[in-house]
Formats: sequence, structure tokens, C-alpha cells
Amino acid sequence: MTSGAGGPRILVVEDEPALRRFLVPTLAGQGYQVLTAATAAEGLALARSHNPDLVLLDLGLPDQDGMEVLRQLRLWSARPIVILSARNQERDKVRALDGGADDYLAKPFGAAELLARLRVALRRTIQTEAGETVVAGGGLRVDLARREVSLEGRPVHLTTLEYRLLEALVRRNGRVATHAQLLADVWGPGGAGNTHYLRIYMAMLRRKLEADPTRPRTFITEPNVGYRLDLDASEG
Amino acid sequence: MDAPARPILVALGSEVRALRLIQAASRLARERNAPWLAVHVEAASGAIPDDLEQVQVWLQEAQRLGAGVRTVPAPTLAQGLADLTRATHAQALVLGRSRDRWPWARLGHSTADELQRRGLDADLVVLDDPPEVAGAERPGTPFGATLGTLLVLAACTGLAWLVPREGNLSLVLPVYLLGVAFIAHRWGQGLGVLASTLSALLYDFLLETPRFRHAEELWPNLLFFLAMLLSAQLVMGLLRRLRLQARDVQRREFHTASLYLLGRALARSRTPEEVAAAAGEHIGRIFKAKAWLLFPLEDTWHALPTPLEDPSLPPPSELAPSLDLGGRQGDPLEPLPLGGAFYLSLTGTDRSEGVLRILPREAKGLPPRTWELLQAFAAQIALALERLRWLEEARRAQVERETERMRSTLLGAIGHDLRTPLAAIHGAAGTLLLPGDLDDSARRDLLAMIQDESERLAHLLGNILDLTRLESGVLRVQKEWQPLEEVVGAALGHLERREGPVSVRVDLPSDLPLVPLDAALMEQVLINLLTNARRHAPGQATELRAWGEPGGLALEVADRGPGVPEAFRERMFDPFVRLPGAGEGGVGLGLAICRAIIQAHGGTITAEARPGGGTAFRLRLPLPGEPPALPEDAP
Repeated sequence: MTSGAGGPRILVVEDEPALRRFLVPTLAGQGYQVLTAATAAEGLALARSHNPDLVLLDLGLPDQDGMEVLRQLRLWSARPIVILSARNQERDKVRALDGGADDYLAKPFGAAELLARLRVALRRTIQTEAGETVVAGGGLRVDLARREVSLEGRPVHLTTLEYRLLEALVRRNGRVATHAQLLADVWGPGGAGNTHYLRIYMAMLRRKLEADPTRPRTFITEPNVGYRLDLDASEG
Repeated sequence: MDAPARPILVALGSEVRALRLIQAASRLARERNAPWLAVHVEAASGAIPDDLEQVQVWLQEAQRLGAGVRTVPAPTLAQGLADLTRATHAQALVLGRSRDRWPWARLGHSTADELQRRGLDADLVVLDDPPEVAGAERPGTPFGATLGTLLVLAACTGLAWLVPREGNLSLVLPVYLLGVAFIAHRWGQGLGVLASTLSALLYDFLLETPRFRHAEELWPNLLFFLAMLLSAQLVMGLLRRLRLQARDVQRREFHTASLYLLGRALARSRTPEEVAAAAGEHIGRIFKAKAWLLFPLEDTWHALPTPLEDPSLPPPSELAPSLDLGGRQGDPLEPLPLGGAFYLSLTGTDRSEGVLRILPREAKGLPPRTWELLQAFAAQIALALERLRWLEEARRAQVERETERMRSTLLGAIGHDLRTPLAAIHGAAGTLLLPGDLDDSARRDLLAMIQDESERLAHLLGNILDLTRLESGVLRVQKEWQPLEEVVGAALGHLERREGPVSVRVDLPSDLPLVPLDAALMEQVLINLLTNARRHAPGQATELRAWGEPGGLALEVADRGPGVPEAFRERMFDPFVRLPGAGEGGVGLGLAICRAIIQAHGGTITAEARPGGGTAFRLRLPLPGEPPALPEDAP
């Protein structure tokens, strides 16, 4: 059940043999240690016994709802969990993200996308520990300690709410943030349900911080789910 | 000339004739192109209080036919009508007049006559009841009737006494005959017989008096008595027949009216629940009973309009045969009594549609002589249910045909379009697995092809799924107010991640209002349109513009491709329709999905030829209401 050695330990909870067949060599080839489970029960048992650095969790499991597995994992583990879901199931994605998942991958996905998401999810733990306060990429530089933002070296003035939104995205460090999470971070409990606030402030942020707001490179929209800040892609 | 037309009034009570009055008034109002008003006067001095429930039914019927409705209190009917006619400047007043039994009692006493005397500035349209040959039997108190009988006989005796020529029996006889006939007519057979006996005795008594002393003795007396008795019987028989006829006429009118009302209500019913509600309401009003429609549901009955808990009700397999017309003793028209309730089969043209259960509100059961009407009700209800069943069957057949057609098109398309990429993937994988050396670039080619083709497969499957979900209504549109810019950005980003840099000129005014959209679905629309444009006009910039319109927002995706023949501009939004010579890629689902999504948003999508060549797809999205306001922000 285990393959690869040395790198971070990844638990794959997926009932489809074909997907496991693709995931295991792909991950092992990148130096990850891979554990696989085909059922929710097996997945939970492995998670307890091996304490993996990251869990790749399919929402459609034969014995239990993936959401329930997520809930039980979150009771004791703060490690990243990445959801595998079918496309067009935004509602499930949002529920999983709001329920504590770090990110999701919509099937079908390619190896490159998978590895990029895993890197982002793993980086979270590493960076949080490092306590870094300056984030930069794609010409954008955000200093969280001094509350300073600059684009291509020029300082940019943001309103309070714009800054709080940017900060909320930066703190997630490339992982997707749902509408509900961002609303709670920026507007507090009073913001719930007012998704249009978020969209309007996102449009303002893009106008100030994107070269072409109709082709955002940094502030990526995940339709009906939320937003993610992509500092890596905009460098290229 | 411009003054509004003066209204037409129609006075309604609770009598059955109200239906004729309503129809007459409605016709008159149509002819004169005037508004009309149905009026019920609550007269303080009304002889018999009206059945208010029934009055409401008539008023509602009038309202349904377009009348205004008014209920006014007044000291008398005539007073109320006169006041209202003046107050509304009515041009005509339609009212009924009942026929009294005696012509002289009618003269000058009806409301119509009284209104005539008041000299109203309105046409009086008086509808007389259909001629009745005899009035209804007045069930007067026995004491009053006996007293009346005695008084009449006394009057006859007085008249006989006054007969001028002594001993002239030929004049006395008709006086008594007339008296007895009147009594028999007015107070019924019993008193008629009593009156004939009494008059014979009186006659005897008269004979004893000196005035008639020299008249003949016993045997003419007997003859007189017999004649009296016979004529009383004769008059009685005659009258009863006439009375029955009259009652029949009345009942028929009542039946017609109630059937008419039921038929109306049933014709408006679109579900069995509505049929049951209408049946319950009308049966409840006319038969003073509660009604249920029972439908066999495996071993039990499904009851409408309210659930039914009756342990004495036998299961369908037992009840059905005894309701069957052939299988029951006695009159097949009679409802089957069972534990206080009555059951009738609701038999349509070819089969039973269910069972009608009637539970009388009063202990003495159903009113007499109503079974016939009940049977007619049952037939009407059965026909209504049958009509619904046929409609449902026709609808289902239609859906099945449609599904069948879709399925065969889908199968045809899948057969070809899914197999092609599969064959390529299968073949490439097989080649890669072959023993022997394959040079590196060939390997990469095959692997890239596997990736491309599987992506195409995934795309196709996604489209088929989307369309099925959209058309079956499983997919719910999740609309949220948002800037169009964001959706456009997401669609372009998606395309670029999938296919590399795309050449699209975007022109979105910065002051576009927010639109209520399902972002994921709208992104799909834009991706489909942009992919189409790229496919048909490769290497040329696609233009994407949006602008505000009154009540909505328009968005256009325009290319400089070869254009679409006029005949295809509408049809290409149908599933699996591909332009002739469109070449590879796509199965003709993209535009069908676009249309389904836009329609789910309440908008429209059209294709137009562009001046200078190419096609412009134009979306119009409605803006219902005001976009939500923004919160305060500190600079």
C-alpha cells in the first residue's frame, strides 16, 4: 500500500482503480510516499496510523460520503486535504472547502495540474511555519507587516476593504478561497450572503492590480466557488 | 358621447331562475356594450330569507362572466333596487317575476310592477318564470287548513242559502263543487274528502230547513254526496298530476342549473385534486353531504380531496364488483349504501375512473328524488377525470416520442463521435505497448494524441451531460448579481489554460451594471461561443462586446468566419445540428447548450450575419429590478 520513499507522505482515498493506477506512479515518480485506500473506513484508519502530510480525498466513496470523511479528519488533523470531485459540482466543492478542505481538483485533471496543486497545498504548512510576511510574484508585492502594496515597483493605494480582501487572498497562498470564507474574512459575520460585495471589490482590485482586468492572471475566478491568488503563473 | 356607458343591473336572489337572469343580463350587456352589475338586495322585510350560500354561488357565476357584484341592504326589494338604479344611473334593470297561482294575486303586487310605478329612468327587463300549470302544494299548518276548509264550506253554505229560487238544487250543487275543488287544490286530498263529506251533510241539513223542505228525499242526497266525493277525487287527481309536472319542470331547471355550474367548475379543473375539490363543493351544497373521490391504489383507496379514515370501507377488489352496474340487484341507478355513506361508480366512456363516496351531513340520508341528479353528477365527474387521464396519456406519449427521438439522435452521435477519439486512443496506446524501439519524437506524438483525444472525449461527455441536465431541469441556475467582466475573464482564462493564447478583442464599458448570472453556466456559454468562433475563423481575432439596453444587457461574440447560411441561423441551436462542411471537432451540442443556459436565465440568443462577413452571436439578458447597493468603504 505504500510506495515511494523519503518525500512528503500522501494518502490517496479513491475508489476508482483506474485513477489509483494513474495517481500512484505519478506521485511516486515525484518523490512522494504514497498510501492508497479504496474506502472511507480504510482511508480514516490509514490517516490515523500513518499521519500523512496531505490527503487526496475523493468525494464519491462507496461506503461513506466523502464530506463525512473530511469532517472526521478535520476533528484531529490540520494537515492539507485536497478534494477530487467531478466537474460541474460547484455546490459540493464549496461545501468541501467551507468544511475545511484546502483545495479541489475537478476530474478529469492532468498530471501537471495535480502536482501544482499539491505543491501549493503542501507549501501552506511550510510557509505558515516560516512566518513570512512579504509575498511577491508577477510584479505584485504585498508586505503584510507594513500593509504596503506595490505593482512593478510603484506603490498602489488600496481602500481598507480592498486591502483586507487582498490580505485574505494572500494568506491563503494560492489555495482557493470560497465566497463565504472571503466574506467572513473581509466583512465579518455581517457580510454573509452578500456575494456581490465581493465581486465588486474583486473587480476594483483587478483594475488596480491587473494589467488587463478582463484577462486576470493573478486574481483567478473559480466560477460559483470563489477566488484564488496565483502569483506563480503570472511570473511566466 | 364620451361618458362611460350606463351600467345594466341584474337583481339576483337564491332562486334557480337567477342563472337565466345572469345569462340575459350578460347578453344585454354585450349587445349594448355596457358594464353590468349583479345585485343582491338583502331585504329586511323579505318573506322568506334567501339561501345566502346559494346567492354567493350566483354572484360568483356573474362575476366570472364579467359582472361587478354588489350586495345592498334595504327595507324592501323594490326600494333597494330603485335606490341602486338611481345611484348607478343604470340604463336597464333585469329581474325575474314569479308566477303566482292566481292571476289576480299577481296583478300589481310583484316587485317589477312596484318598480314600474316608481317611474325609474331605466328599462325594466322582466323575465317571467316558465308557465307552471299548478303551484306548489302549500304545507300549511293542519289547524289553519282545517279552519280554511270550514270557512270555505261556510261560505258555500251561505251562498247556497242565498239562492234566490227556492229548492233549486241545480244552483246549489255547483257552489259546493267549486268549494270542494278549491279545498282539494289548496289543502290536499284529506281535507278534500272531509270537505265533500261535510258538504253532503250540510246539504242534508239545508234540506231539513223549511226553505228546501219540499225537495226530494234520500236518494238525491246520496247522489249529491257521491257526486261531491267523485269530483273532489277527480280534481285531486288532476291537480296532483299537474303539480307533479310543475315540480318536474322546477326540478329539471334546478338540475340543469346545478349541472351547468358543476360542469363549469370541472372544465376548469386541471388535476384530479381540483376535480375532487369542485365535486366536493358542488355536492356539498346541493346534497348537503360530504363527497370524496376514491381511486383504487393497490389494496387501499386513495381519497381526494381529503384523506379518508373509514375502517368499514371494503378494499377495491370487494367494492368494485358490487358497484358494477350489471352485478347488483335492483335499480342500477341507485347508489350503494354502506355504513351511512353512499357509493357510486364513476364510469367514463370505457372504464371506471374511480368511486364517488357521499356521506350525508344529516342522519336521514340523501334528500329524496336526488339520486338521478347525483347520477348525472357522477357521470360529469367521471368524464372530467377521463379527460384528465387522456390528456396525461397524450402528454406522456408526446414526451416519450420526444425522448425516443433524442435518444436515437444521441445514440447516432455518440456512436460516431465517441468512437473516433476512443479508436485513436486505443490505437496509440497499443502502438506504445508494442515491443521494439519507437523513436522519441514518435512516442511523444502518440502520447500527445492520447491526451488530446481524451480531452476531446471529456469535453464531449461533459456537453452531453450538461445538455441532458439542463433540458431535464436537474441543473438549477444559481443566479447572483455580478459584473460581466468577471465572467468574461474567467472564460478567457479557462480557454487560455486549455488552448494557449487566444486572440479576442474585448470591449466592455466600465459602467456596465451588475447582472444576475450563474457564473459557471455563463462561462460555459462564452467558452462555447469563443471556441466556435476560433474554429470557424481560425487565426482571426474574435470580438467580444457588451452594452446596456433598456431593461437588460446585450453581449455579442462576433467572428469574421465564412458566415452561416440564413436557413441554419435558427436551426443550428438545435442539438446535433452541424453546419454542412463544418469539418472536424464538435458534435453540434455547443450552441444547444448555450441556448438552454441563456433561456434558463430568461434571455435570448440569436445569430446574425455581420456586415462585412462573419457571424455575430448576440445574447440578451434581462435585468430584473435594481442591482443591490454597495457597502461603505474607507479610503
